[in-house]
Amino acid sequence: MKGLHGIIFSYERRNDLRELGEIRSASSIPFGGRYRAVDFALSNLVNAGVTDVGVVLHGRYQSMLDHLGTGKAWDLSRKRGGLRVLPPFNYQQDWGVMPFRGKIEALSGIRTYLDTIRQDYVALMDGDLVVNLPLADVYESHIKSGADITVVCGNDSFATDDGTYFEKNSEGRVTEVLFRLHRPRGYRGLEVYLLSTQLLKDLVDECVGRDQFSWRRDILQAKKDSLYLRSYIWEGFAAQIRSVQEYYDRSMQLLDPAIRAELFTPERPIRAKGADKSSTYVGANGRCVNSLVAEGCRIEGTVENSVLFPGVVVEAGAVVRNCVLFKEDIVRAGAQLAYIIADKDVEVLPDRTLMGHATYPIVLAKGSKV
Amino acid sequence: MKKECIAMLLAGGQGSRLYVLTGDMAKPAVPFGGKYRIIDFPLSNCTNSGIDTVGVLTQYRPLELNSYIGSGQPWDLDGSTGGVHILPPYQGSKGGTWYKGTANAIYQNIGFIDLYDPDYVVILSGDHIYKMDYSKMVERHKEAGAACTISVMEVPWAEASRFGIMAVDGSDMITEFAEKPKEPKSNLASMGIYVFSWKALRKYLTEDEADPNSENDFGKNVIPAMLNNGERMAAYRFEGYWKDVGTLDSLWDANMDMLSPESGLDLHDESWPIYARSVNAPPAFLGTQSHVTHSAFNRGSVVDGTVENSVLAPNVKVGEGARVSYSVLLPGTVVEPGAVVEYAILGEECRIGRDCRIGGTPESAAEEAWGLTVLAPHCTVEAGKAVRPGVMLDRNGEEVSK
Repeated sequence: MKGLHGIIFSYERRNDLRELGEIRSASSIPFGGRYRAVDFALSNLVNAGVTDVGVVLHGRYQSMLDHLGTGKAWDLSRKRGGLRVLPPFNYQQDWGVMPFRGKIEALSGIRTYLDTIRQDYVALMDGDLVVNLPLADVYESHIKSGADITVVCGNDSFATDDGTYFEKNSEGRVTEVLFRLHRPRGYRGLEVYLLSTQLLKDLVDECVGRDQFSWRRDILQAKKDSLYLRSYIWEGFAAQIRSVQEYYDRSMQLLDPAIRAELFTPERPIRAKGADKSSTYVGANGRCVNSLVAEGCRIEGTVENSVLFPGVVVEAGAVVRNCVLFKEDIVRAGAQLAYIIADKDVEVLPDRTLMGHATYPIVLAKGSKV
Repeated sequence: MKKECIAMLLAGGQGSRLYVLTGDMAKPAVPFGGKYRIIDFPLSNCTNSGIDTVGVLTQYRPLELNSYIGSGQPWDLDGSTGGVHILPPYQGSKGGTWYKGTANAIYQNIGFIDLYDPDYVVILSGDHIYKMDYSKMVERHKEAGAACTISVMEVPWAEASRFGIMAVDGSDMITEFAEKPKEPKSNLASMGIYVFSWKALRKYLTEDEADPNSENDFGKNVIPAMLNNGERMAAYRFEGYWKDVGTLDSLWDANMDMLSPESGLDLHDESWPIYARSVNAPPAFLGTQSHVTHSAFNRGSVVDGTVENSVLAPNVKVGEGARVSYSVLLPGTVVEPGAVVEYAILGEECRIGRDCRIGGTPESAAEEAWGLTVLAPHCTVEAGKAVRPGVMLDRNGEEVSK
């Protein structure tokens, strides 16, 4: 049948997320005050009319399973199709030894699933990508161009950890596939690929037969001349959350109204699980400026240039500057925080002072008491 | 499917004393406390009390309410053996009528209640803000061996004549009931929450229906009839926050109470959560020039001006240099830069133009002329205009009288 099927890769891999990544895959990292990174990929797909989405998991996926549930928050809890959670049930290697070495290996781990895909085309996405992409438009241009694989690229000065970069000619055809560059050049790949379901299966089968596992090396780079790889350049905000620094810088970008308008455009709403919290309250002596604040917070102290997730408490006299505070964090009276990323359920005791720096934000691990 | 206890929620009233706010929706659908609607309170109380089957009786302008309740999922009331059911009046082979009164509304749905063959039925109304464990009230009902239990709370003696007042004996059994008595014999006021043994209620409803002189109302007819017949009627004392938000002033008051947990209305307390169907929008943003104090706000809102002592629903915009104080802004309201809003309730999607002045402090007008300023949903006030304290505007911006 016509249409697009979504596959989101959410398996564990090496990154520089420090404590934030120890308890979860990058896809389920909280971002933007009320979202998890994967909400963006899921919403992008759903907003393009995609009804069937598979999420490929491997390693530390409890937090992800918890978040996805039945897929109801994205209208993906369906009688037919909808959300499919995909642990590596066809995996041939030794279990639990190491995460997938690449996307091909991940896809071969769910090979029989690929045969059940109803749609003629597939969008492959990474769960750690924060973007509001008009995927319907990408799909249309993929069909029109007759490309074998459409490669979506960003166009900003941000580099990302272990990124894939593309060079193209004036017609948009990819001429060079680059990675592990000392100094990035070309367009930063967003790890969003569109291709026909049949081609995907053929490529996976071919690579597995040769013990090849890397999508970018064994397919994109090796076949850039025999296949028609076409670039789709996305000019807007697109963040890949792969290091603490990247996480922090990208979070702070959300304080810019233009970035928020783009990422949260009402035409393509980003859907997320709800939180059963009351309104956020700022006290008579509280002060909260230039900050993104989710529901259920109680602010009696000072908050500046920060992102607050649901249920954060900032007591009187406490000062929070340039921080990202996850769900249910408590900053006790008189404490001072600057350039801190505090994971869930952190409590900062009265009058403590913690300072990171814009170039080295400090991460407080989940549940820690400082 | 047999259930020990189910709830019936009377949500058909217009709420005429909320005037323009209930022009297009029934009172229980009116937004409250930033992210809630009034009906979230009884629905959440039900689910927190272990009541998983709720009939919601609708009549006046049900569209907003029906779509809000939907499958009942936000309140965990979408179970396969119960859940929330919308019950509008209907036509039968011998015709049908609107719900004539509260008792008649239940009478017309005897068939629904019988489906669950309950021992007890809790009757609730959709215009009160409170957190209450109905299971404790049902316990009291069982222990007292009562046919009917009415929840009561002590009110100041001076106000007692505004309520339905219960006189009780030493074991809190009701001996007398008087609707708005001139000389109250007690200060125990009915909160409009009843537990009935279904067998007894079924009998009285049938008798009440057969009486052509009855107004088919619980307070006026059914309860007095039961008392006269010597049925065991228990009082259940409730302590805690409870407010009838049937008037503009009380709705505003209750919103202000929510800002101060000392009032008894603590919505941050998660041991008894109030659930709501939430809108999907990014977190609120408070701008560099914003100044927000003693106020509550919600998703999708952007504040660049001053907000004090106010409650902001989702998707509210307050522009630079604007000031909102002692006001309740319902979803989607826009206050453009430089405008001032004081002591007002602004309905959904209201738009206040630049440099407008809406309402004023109690000191700003003569005592008898002052009141809250209330704007109907979708009302637009053009730039530079002023709306005096106490004035109410409909959706076309025309002044209407309270």
